Amino acid sequence: MSRILGLESSCDETAAAVVEDARVIRSSVVASQLDVHARYGGVVPELASREHLRAIVPVVREAMLRAGVEWRDLDAVAVTQGPGLLGSLLVGITYAKAIAAARGAPMIAVNHIEGHIHAVLMEARGKGGEVPLPALALVASGGHTHLFHVSDDAMRYRLLGRTRDDAAGEAFDKVAKLLGFGYPGGPVIDALAPHGDPRAIRFTAAKMKGNDLDFSFSGLKTAVLRWSQERDLAAEIGARRELLARNARPSVDEWLTVTPPATRNLLASFQHTVIAELLRRIRDAAEQHPEVRAVVVSGGVACNAGLRASAASLRLGIPVHFPRPALSADNAAMIAAAAFPKLARAEFAGFDLHPQANLVLAS
Amino acid sequence: MLTFAPQSEEEMIALGARLVTGGLLPPAGLVLLIGDLGAGKTTLAKGIAEARGAASRDEVSSPTFTLIHEYGEPARLYHIDLYRLDEAHQVESLGLDELLARPGALALIEWGERFPELWPAARAEVRIAPDDAGGGRVVSVVTAPSGEARQPA
Repeated sequence: MSRILGLESSCDETAAAVVEDARVIRSSVVASQLDVHARYGGVVPELASREHLRAIVPVVREAMLRAGVEWRDLDAVAVTQGPGLLGSLLVGITYAKAIAAARGAPMIAVNHIEGHIHAVLMEARGKGGEVPLPALALVASGGHTHLFHVSDDAMRYRLLGRTRDDAAGEAFDKVAKLLGFGYPGGPVIDALAPHGDPRAIRFTAAKMKGNDLDFSFSGLKTAVLRWSQERDLAAEIGARRELLARNARPSVDEWLTVTPPATRNLLASFQHTVIAELLRRIRDAAEQHPEVRAVVVSGGVACNAGLRASAASLRLGIPVHFPRPALSADNAAMIAAAAFPKLARAEFAGFDLHPQANLVLAS
Repeated sequence: MLTFAPQSEEEMIALGARLVTGGLLPPAGLVLLIGDLGAGKTTLAKGIAEARGAASRDEVSSPTFTLIHEYGEPARLYHIDLYRLDEAHQVESLGLDELLARPGALALIEWGERFPELWPAARAEVRIAPDDAGGGRVVSVVTAPSGEARQPA
């Protein structure tokens, strides 16, 4: 049996996890979910390396404790090398080096985006199955929207498409913010979308010159902005902000009382368009690559219930795998999971490991 | 102050490139990109990145969530987005001083005008606004008097 401690500090989250055999998550701790951080509600970005620095010791200690393992039980320490913020990445990497130096555990460098893909492969294994490979992998979050081809050993990736402007999750956040729904935008839009008509407003699909598997969400965001400017929404936006000020997590019914039908239709149409854009690329890529045997969807946007339901009815003829919500968002279990194939091939990092803000998984 | 009137995304990218090749932007230092949501700030950044040989236009995407994108090896362009941040101390914790002190690097900052106290006088500003017809944009470029890169503190 092999055990890896994973560390993740690339952007907002400080996280640590212990994973066994790329299959069993013994523990997975994310700083914003710990009580100490609850008062921030995850809204203030932990962008400062100082915040990661403050969190990393208690987070790792908690992960080791919950897993019930000692340092000597670890076969390796895996850490996110990039992409992300240099100062934030540096905290995880320096901590990994300290563990490696003190305990003699080898270090493994992991690409954050590769981690998102392996979160899904790990979860399938944990349920007693395997995601059949090669596969297509869509990683869609607030910061990334990438479509990859994953090789049959889950070690090589080809970039098939990526966003040329906004990430899919960013489009949700910005639309929610401009309409007074607060942050993050994905969950509230997803919850309200079923209460509107997804075909009420026809947004134009993004036309991609060059690679037609690339994504673009900036035009959609601007179209929503224009729609809202053409109407007098000041009163309802004000009512929503008031609701949020009273109650940080309004229920769907509470949101509905301050969201008139026209705005519900807008949200439904917006979400419908984002989902259609994502699924169109998956469908086209599956047609262009008939050898793929599965589709993997990961990253924060993979939590979207509308996306999950639409993907299920896509009739691709191959299974579409989503991770559970805790594994969709940033976490460290996915970093440990992605390190297992590297452990098997003894692909270890030296003490000269340095963070790479613009690390790419594939080109 | 110079103004331009790009009418399409293509023209916005071309304008970004001309700001570089025509020497309207300083070779290094700080540029505030100022404009509303959807104005075309990231589109302009594509042209700037491409003309500096730091990245192709399709590689340049929005840094809103990730806060900082760096392009080129070594980095020749930082594309920074402060949209998510509300307080000056959050911006200060990003360590932008360090980035600006790196020789030969240009930093494009979106939503930076909300923190005027943080920026040196020696900077350029590019403002993007919708034109009267609504379809195109008016882009105005103000280069700070010295036009020089900021000296490291």
